[in-house]
Amino acid sequence: MREMLPLLLLLVVGLWSCSKPSPVRKDGETAWQQSFGKKQRDYWPTTDWRVADPVKAGFDQQKLKAFRDYTFQRTGDEKNRAGIRTDGVVVIHNGYLVFEEYARGYDKNRRHLVWSDTKSVLNAAIGVAVRQGKMNIADSAGRYVPQLNTDEKKAITVNDLLQMSSGLFWDEGYESSPLKSLVIAMLYTRGRNDMGRFAAEQPVIFKPGERFYYSSGTSNILSLALKNALGEKDYEQYFWKEIFEPLGMRNVTMERDGSGIFVASSYMYVTPRDFAKFGYLYLNDGQWEKKRILPEGWVKYTVTMAPAYYSTPMNDHLRKDNPGAHWWLNLGIPETGQAPPWPKAPRDTFAASGHWGQFLFVIPSLDLVVVRTGDDRDGSFDINTFLGLLVESLADRGGKP
Amino acid sequence: MKIKKFIRRLALLFLLVAGLWIVLNWTHIKSFPGIISAFYAKEFCSCYFVVGGDEEFCHNYARQWVPISSFALDKQAKAVTVTGLGRSTTVVHTSEQFGCAYRNP
Repeated sequence: MREMLPLLLLLVVGLWSCSKPSPVRKDGETAWQQSFGKKQRDYWPTTDWRVADPVKAGFDQQKLKAFRDYTFQRTGDEKNRAGIRTDGVVVIHNGYLVFEEYARGYDKNRRHLVWSDTKSVLNAAIGVAVRQGKMNIADSAGRYVPQLNTDEKKAITVNDLLQMSSGLFWDEGYESSPLKSLVIAMLYTRGRNDMGRFAAEQPVIFKPGERFYYSSGTSNILSLALKNALGEKDYEQYFWKEIFEPLGMRNVTMERDGSGIFVASSYMYVTPRDFAKFGYLYLNDGQWEKKRILPEGWVKYTVTMAPAYYSTPMNDHLRKDNPGAHWWLNLGIPETGQAPPWPKAPRDTFAASGHWGQFLFVIPSLDLVVVRTGDDRDGSFDINTFLGLLVESLADRGGKP
Repeated sequence: MKIKKFIRRLALLFLLVAGLWIVLNWTHIKSFPGIISAFYAKEFCSCYFVVGGDEEFCHNYARQWVPISSFALDKQAKAVTVTGLGRSTTVVHTSEQFGCAYRNP
């Protein structure tokens, strides 16, 4: 028995240390800098983007061609859906359109489904509601969503939902686990009549703010919260009235579930040119034509890492997600030596990111907005390579990561 | 004789485990067959009426590993009806602003 004691002690200590990983840091690092939004613009692209010659704008022609050739290479046909399948790319530098190309039947007027990039658009709508005093991110989400107004769930704040750290159960698998995937159940079967409620009714498995894990459910809870905060009538036109129209985004479709909430997790359709305007809003710290669309401090909040990320047990999959508030960051965790998701891009890069290769990148240090739409079914497209080639083509202008 | 008995017991055990698995996962299993027609109809409708792809393009976009058994595109009513794994789903295009939605949510 006596010789068992050290073993027992080891077991106890082991279990105790496993139960709660101590956070690397308590506050989230931010990608935001004082220089955000300070740049004077000579025009605003509300009507349309002005075009600039990429070479005169500082791009290396050969390197830009290498970027283009990588992005638009095709290895398979439509039947096998294999390889890199880029549908469109728009690059904005210093407020001017310097690169634009489309493939597979798409053109500048054709909308593309941007899947989870929609979540980042929801972030803007919540931001506007905060500016107007209609929502508060520190509020219990139960104030807006009755299903969360229970003893067990009322500790969940709007902020916890925006940072995907609510502690509500979720299973985010698409093709990998179709039987138990809650995304598929929400979008196509059990949840489709009332997606916000479906997600809000999931059981609590962690304390709010303790764990980060990707959850499309939280986006539709927030969409429902926004509807309840604004009222049905205002909510219906809110995205257009407050965001799309002021920015001149005339080519947007947003689909709704059976209960009339926008499917903020997944279903926005937009042209790359219009979507670049949305990125430009964040590049300019939420301002547009001398007006504030997003409240002061909102972009900073958005590009600050969710604190729960630091206390979540890390794995390879998680290392690729640096969560802000429904936007994705490129910070890594310097304290543990964890590299940023896209090491070839500057650390201040932030992005909207969606299923099958939809991306909207904002890179303030290079004054870049990049939209890439596609239909990648097999993971051939490497976003780090894509960003690396683009950044390199600007290298002469000091574009080093 | 002994082997026969053993096999019978093994089969019984297998059925028991399978049964238990079905009971435990019933919520998921019940809605599973609906995925095929719902996904196809919804994604085809949006691809065709919102994005503006042609029929071949949109079939290539919406098809899954499990094949569908029937497909109907009603261009006048702007509706897509798909049957797969014994379930049928209709999705309609409602407007340019709000895109496609299930007819019977």
